[in-house]
Amino acid sequence: MVNDKESQKIVDIIQNFARQSSLFVLAYGTGCGAIEIPPTMTSRYDAERFGIRGAATPRQADVLLITGYLATKSLKRVIRAYEQMQNPKYIIGFGSCTINGGMYWDSYNTINRLDMYIPVDVYINGCMPRPEAVIAGFAKLQKLIQAGKADGWDRYQKNLEFYRGNQKKIIHNWVMPDYNW
Amino acid sequence: MSEVFFRTKDLSTINIMNEQDILNKILDHFGNKVTGNVKREKRVELFATTNTIEDVLLYAKHQLSFIHFTQLSCVDWIEEKQFELVYIIWSPESKVTILIKVRVDRENPVAPNIDYIWRHANTFERELREMYGVQFEGLVGAQDFILEDWIEIPPMRRDFDTAEYAKKTFFDRPGRENARDVRETIRQNSGEEIPEFAKKYSR
Repeated sequence: MVNDKESQKIVDIIQNFARQSSLFVLAYGTGCGAIEIPPTMTSRYDAERFGIRGAATPRQADVLLITGYLATKSLKRVIRAYEQMQNPKYIIGFGSCTINGGMYWDSYNTINRLDMYIPVDVYINGCMPRPEAVIAGFAKLQKLIQAGKADGWDRYQKNLEFYRGNQKKIIHNWVMPDYNW
Repeated sequence: MSEVFFRTKDLSTINIMNEQDILNKILDHFGNKVTGNVKREKRVELFATTNTIEDVLLYAKHQLSFIHFTQLSCVDWIEEKQFELVYIIWSPESKVTILIKVRVDRENPVAPNIDYIWRHANTFERELREMYGVQFEGLVGAQDFILEDWIEIPPMRRDFDTAEYAKKTFFDRPGRENARDVRETIRQNSGEEIPEFAKKYSR
């Protein structure tokens, strides 16, 4: 590979085009919003025409959809799944629960702001967002990827201390492996 | 708990009883240890103690065909410094629900373990242990049920302030402190028009 700036730009464009055209979504429904995923994937809305489809395991996936509220117990699993995913990886916060807690804003066991624990690239507003909104959110993510602005995985590595601190604030018994990227 | 409790009656020979019959049978059998009344149609209320609750449940299950254990729930009577355990059982023959209420001390809540009568009572007991701190004697099961790493007082007790705890533990997103209508702000930021039909829903 020629290692000057101009050719790197061309490589980036091709790379980003390839990344935005095949988004594999981890099949891990965390909250009630997971019920909107089957209509998004099946014949009526057919998200696969945008290159969006499911992936069985974290290591094969590009996108982690946080569909709705997150209990502190499932936040643990989400962090674990997210850290197993290969770079580049993206997170879509789905529904008002991930934005400010939604209807669980005063609950003792659900987090309020998702972006304090893991980096979120795109938020989809609504309770619940319909499949049109989900596809609009994916389209927004594709635009960000094409522009090279969907850098949540990069932010996570650079600000790992901040995210870890917030995570350990509510997960007292920390038994997860520490990755070193 | 004599052996007669463990012999289930032949269901075809039982006459279908009404609420008063059931109440009378239980009160006759236990004398002054148990009190109760008919709350309404298909609903009988009994008051027992931690010493008699096992015998009442066994008698109702094996002699009166109350074979279905619906729920075990708990009420926090903080003013009276007591927890009230409510055992709800149901009979598929008479279609009557019995609520058996047992009061335990709030400072040291201990109740007998009944999961040898119905296995699934174990789940309810573990839940109450976690959510109210009620201890069941000899209960076997993992300590964590729904909550993980919980270090505060049990969260369903009435002296636990959930809103304050959430404020202290989780992060609030600034900008939505009250319930004001933000659609106008969103319209200005995004440039989208509010549709005509949606305007009448404005606050």
